[in-house]
Order: sequence, then C-alpha cells, then structure tokens
Amino acid sequence: MNRPQSLWQIWQTELAHIFTDRAVLLVLAGGILFYAVLYPLPYQRNVPGEQAIAVLNQDHTAMARHLVRMADATPQIRVAAHPTSMAETESLLASGIAHGLMIIPAGFERDVYLGRPTTLSFAGDASYFLIYGNVVEGLMSAAMTLSVESQINMSLLQGENPARISGQVMPMRLITKPAFNPTGGYINYIVPAVFVLILHQTLLIAAGSITIKDRGRRRRGFPAPPLGLALLLRLFNFVAIYLLFAMLYFGFFFQLYGVPHVASPSSLLVFSSLFFLTSALFALWLGCLLSRPELPTVIVLLSSLPIVFTAGFAWPADNLPRWLDYLSMLIPAKAGIQGFLAINQMGAPLDTIWREIAVLFGLCLLYGGWLAYLVTHEISPGPSSYPAPAGVST
Amino acid sequence: MKPSDPSSLTGWRGLREQPWILAVAVWLPPLVTLLFIAVFVTGSPRALSIGVVDLDHSQQSRALQRLLNANPALELSHSYPSAQEGSKALKQGEILALVIIPTHFNRDLIRGTSPEVTAFYNSQYLLAGKFIASALSQTSFSFAARSGLALRLGQGQSLPQAIAGAAPLRPQITSLYNPGMSYARFLVTSIAPAAWQILIVVSTVLLLGWRLEKAVLPDGFGPRCHACYRLLGPLFLVLWLQGLIMLVLFQSWLGWDPEGNVFWLMVGMALMVLAVQSMAILILAVLPNTVRALSICAAYLAPAFAFMGITFPRGDMNALAWTWGGLMPSTHYMELQVAVADHGAGLSVLLPPLFILLLFLLPLPLAIHSLPSRIIEDPVAQVTP
Repeated sequence: MNRPQSLWQIWQTELAHIFTDRAVLLVLAGGILFYAVLYPLPYQRNVPGEQAIAVLNQDHTAMARHLVRMADATPQIRVAAHPTSMAETESLLASGIAHGLMIIPAGFERDVYLGRPTTLSFAGDASYFLIYGNVVEGLMSAAMTLSVESQINMSLLQGENPARISGQVMPMRLITKPAFNPTGGYINYIVPAVFVLILHQTLLIAAGSITIKDRGRRRRGFPAPPLGLALLLRLFNFVAIYLLFAMLYFGFFFQLYGVPHVASPSSLLVFSSLFFLTSALFALWLGCLLSRPELPTVIVLLSSLPIVFTAGFAWPADNLPRWLDYLSMLIPAKAGIQGFLAINQMGAPLDTIWREIAVLFGLCLLYGGWLAYLVTHEISPGPSSYPAPAGVST
Repeated sequence: MKPSDPSSLTGWRGLREQPWILAVAVWLPPLVTLLFIAVFVTGSPRALSIGVVDLDHSQQSRALQRLLNANPALELSHSYPSAQEGSKALKQGEILALVIIPTHFNRDLIRGTSPEVTAFYNSQYLLAGKFIASALSQTSFSFAARSGLALRLGQGQSLPQAIAGAAPLRPQITSLYNPGMSYARFLVTSIAPAAWQILIVVSTVLLLGWRLEKAVLPDGFGPRCHACYRLLGPLFLVLWLQGLIMLVLFQSWLGWDPEGNVFWLMVGMALMVLAVQSMAILILAVLPNTVRALSICAAYLAPAFAFMGITFPRGDMNALAWTWGGLMPSTHYMELQVAVADHGAGLSVLLPPLFILLLFLLPLPLAIHSLPSRIIEDPVAQVTP
C-alpha cells in the first residue's frame, strides 16, 4: 500500500498533519498564547495586599489606641471595623467583611505598666491561608513592636544600663532571607513551573491526537509512509516547534512578567531538548495506545491538577506518600519542572541536576522502547473504536 | 453502521456503552478526591530538610541546632563546613533552607550583644519556603526567650520579674474555621471541587459528542429539550451524587465538619452541575467538534483552582482576573462552600452565590436550540484541507 516516497515528501506529509489540522492549530497557536496570558492573570498584583480586620477594644486607653494604630500601619492589614460586642464580631467574620480579629482585653495598659504578663488574642480566617498568613504576620509585628517598646521603657525606668538593653530584649536575632525569589511574589513562584506544565500538556494534546488520527488513516488503508520513519520525523518536528515555544516562554514571557531567569542559553537548550524529546515520546506512546483523538485532551484535563500538586513546587515532594512520589515520576512534567526551576530560577549548574536528567533519560528509554516495540510488532494497530467514516459510503 | 434509534440513546446507555464516559463520571471522581487526600496525607508540611553552617561549634550553637531539629516542621539533615557549600546544596534543591550560625555566637549571647543568625529559605517553592521561615522564626523566638531569661536571671533579677520582663505581651493566635491549621483540609476541600468541575464538563461533552455521532438530534425546540433531558438527566444525577460522595470523603478523611446546614451545599452542588453542563452544551453548540470543544473546555476550566480565590485572594486580583474567575461556576460554588461549611453564615450570605449559579442556566435554551443536529467525526476530513 505504501508508495515509495522521498524523505522530503514524507517530512512534508508530517508537517501537513500539524499545520492543516484545525484542532491541533487551535492548541499550538491559540492555546500557547492564551495560556501564557491566562495563568499569570490572577497574580498580577503579585503579593496579597492589606486584609481587613476587626478590633474588639475593651480597654479604651492610650496604649490600646497606639496598638490599633500600629496594626493599621503594617502593610499586611487595615483595621476596617470596631465592633463593640462578640456577637457583632462574629457576624463580621461570618459574612467575610473582616478576615481577622484582635481582642484587646480590659485592663491591658495597666497590666503592661505593672509588668504583669498580658494576653492579646488574635484570630485569622484560616479558610483562606494567604489571608490568614497576612493577618497573623501583621498583628504579630504590631504586638512585637509594642512589646519591645514597653520592654525598653520598663528597663529604662528600672535604671538598666542602656548598652545592655538590646541583649535583654533580643538575646539573638534571626534574619530570614528569601533566596531565588527575592520579592516572595506569586508570579515568580507559579509562572516558571506552570509554563513548563503548559508546554508539556499542549505537546501531549497535539502530538497525541495527530498520532491517533494517523493510525486511523492507516487502518482504513490510506497511503502512508512507513510508520517508524513517520514517528521519527514527527518527533523531530515537535521537538523543533517546542524549542521555539520555549524561547517564547522562557525568553519573551519571562521578560514580560519580570520572572528572574539565570540559566545560560546552552544549558537551557540542552535540558529543553531532553525534556521535549521525553514529552514527545510520551505523547506518541499515548497516541499509540488511545483509540480516539479527543482522549489525549481528556487525559490532559484530568491530569493537570494532580501534576501541579505532585511535581514538588506547590507541595514538598518529600511529604508525598512514597508510592505516589515514584508513580508521579512516570510523567515527564515532574522531572521537567524540577529541573527547569533548579537551573533557570535557582541557578544550579546543569551537571548538578543529574537526578532530573537521569529520570528523563529513563523515561525516554521506557516510552521510546515501548513505542519501538509497538511499531515493530503491531504494524496494523489493534481494535479501535473509531466510528466509521459517516456520510462516506464506499 | 446503522444509525441507532434516537429514542434509545439515553444517558444510561451512554454510560453503559462508553467505558471512557463511565470512567470519567463514575470511577474517577472518588478516586481523584482520594488521590488528593493521599497527596496531603501529612496534613501540614513536615520534616522539611534544612542545612546548617555552624561557624561557632559551641555549646549554644549546638543547643540552637537541637531546638531547630525538635520542630516537627524541620529536619536538620545536612551540615556544611562553609556558606559556599551550603548555598550550592540550596541551589540543587537538596535542602530547602540554610541556617548560618556566626562565629562568637556563644560569646555574644552571654555578653548580651545580640548575635545575628541568618537563614536563607527557598522562596521559589513559596509554600514550603514560607512555612520554613515561620518555623525558623518560632524556634528562634523560643531560643531567644530562653537565653533572655537566663541573661536576666544572671543579672540578678528575680524569676517572676525576669519572666514578665522577657515577655510582657503574650500573643495568643487562633485559626478560625480550621482549628488544626491543616493544609490538607484547606487544600483538598478546594482542589477536589475544581477537579469535580473538570470531570463534569468532560463527561458532559463526551456524552453529547457520543449522542450526536450516533444519531441526528430532532429539530424543534421541544423535542430537542426532551432528547437533552433524557441524555443529560441521568448524568446530572450521577455527577450530583459524586459531589455528595466528595463531601462524605471530606468528612471521613479530613475531619471536615460543616458549621452550617449542608442542605444549602446540596442545593449548591445541584446548581453547580447544571451550570457546568449548561456551559458544556454552549461550547459544543459554538464548536461542533468534540476535540476542539474539549480544548476550549481546557482553556476555560483547567485553571479554575487558581481563579477561585482560595489560595490567592480574589479581592487582590485585577479586574480582568476577577471577571474571568466570576465566569466559572466553581468560583461561586466555593464561595458558598466556605460560607456554609466554615463560616456557618446566614441565608443572606448564601443566596447571592446560589443566584449567580442559576444565571449560568440563562444561555441554556439558546445553546440547546443551536446545537448541531449531528457531529461527523471523520479524522480524514479533519486532516485534509
């Protein structure tokens, strides 16, 4: 059935599979650009701003008012309500008008001046963790500032040597510094990892569905070049196309969003090539196992959230159950995300991420070998649930 | 293949005949919820590996390391001779934070000149990084309080005086609505509904695609509605039941205990399934091709988790992101779930999200009207121009 064709003609056929298929073009042209804009969209402001809190002030003194002003002055919170009763406070929290609460007990100022330990109660709405973190951070820093102020005042009143006060108030200091993502911003956290995932998932959809349609055509006896050669050329085409997309994503869009990126072009090229080769082999392998062209999209839709939370950037991979950690390694995206983050965001040299490289090589062998087996042992793919070409009677 | 008798093409038959639709609607929803419960099995991040560079090698520097190791969130797994070596390990992801204890730490602590310990944490992995930073701060506070007390006692203060002096204010922090501050409860109860939404849209598009490939959809609005009802009604029941099973799984695995009346959540889940199904019909009406319709579903609903405002607050999104999030049923369902299950809020807070979910049904008549009467799934036709 196969007509002898030159390599050039076969390659043209392969390119035609990509560039004349509207469903594939929708993903490659539309999807790649749309996702690059859509995914960073929620985080344009990068760090969550001031959260509204309520203050239940039962001690109407100068120090209590000072504390409220200090809380309001922190960048994390603003005092939005001054309820007068616990019932009123609860309804403010339940309706989501306030996400945090500070209770200043009666006799607060007097207790502090008398040197009696005083309890300040804070509460944050833990239904939203980032909001909770902000509320607690803001209230803590206000309370700590007041605490240090009153400690210094008390020590001075007691006639302490001022040179020794710093050691008493802060016997040691811990300075925590963020490494790699200096602003602690959400964009820098989400975008580098999710971009790798987008490239991986769109590649699965495009290369997977093309392979399924190609198998459908072969099964119905349409003239086609030798399967092995066609797959090799398809692999080459997709790696080449995705290297261009990688330049767009890791070059243009990282620049646009101000994402720090430090890898040298050569190490980025080496790792990208390996990653896209593995992902494309995975896509072709899926394409040889699945029976209908919409199934790669279904798999991509269902697997995206699980990949995000098992890939190690959103949740520490060490904390996954052992079996799940190993199972998720079978998807190229996991090693890809970890490798790209290490070389491009964290500045690790290429030779230190041998673990990720080894995993990708292993997956290449696994899916490549399996694919080679399928090609040599199953020239005409097994039963598929293709619908008959409706409307075309032969 | 003979065209099937259209009246026999019900949702039940689709579920029976199509293993993929059966999997997406029946097997996968509980499995996906259980998968996320397994991902967050530790509840909160635990034993995150940190490294230390001890330049002092003294009694106090070792005491600080022991205290760090005692924090359940941290595991002091590596020790490095120099900051360079430590920073290399941090870059490779071998450790998530590096603590550097300076020379003369012991001496300065005793002299009361406030030595400075530096900790670098990996903020590329933002959640783990922030968690480590707060665990490190807590540990250093308790270490400082301990040595401050020793310092004051050494200076001749009495014990009660020293205690009051070292900590005049005691902040007491309560996490409302999630007492154990369990990340598992917080994340699974929002990720699982996002995944459920994807399962709803995928199964609806697949089932409609199957129906339109099998036989022609009748003309006329009434008969079309009837055909859609017989096709999607059973799927609606199954998917709604899946939502309820999800809540049962939350309750039995995560200690989730709704504050308010679950009845409103059940109503909300029914509306959520209908809303997503309505959007799925609309998408297939605009793009009468299963593959492309699924791609549009992916663009529309795959990022729903990021837009629902549970991790990054919706109030801090820009107008475009806020609007896009509002176009997804899951955003309003989550608002309802937080209000019912966490806040135990009153009806006046519950009605707006329920009403907005109803609004998603507005385009339904138009979508049913403009559904193609047939989808011809011919791969050859799709490839040759």
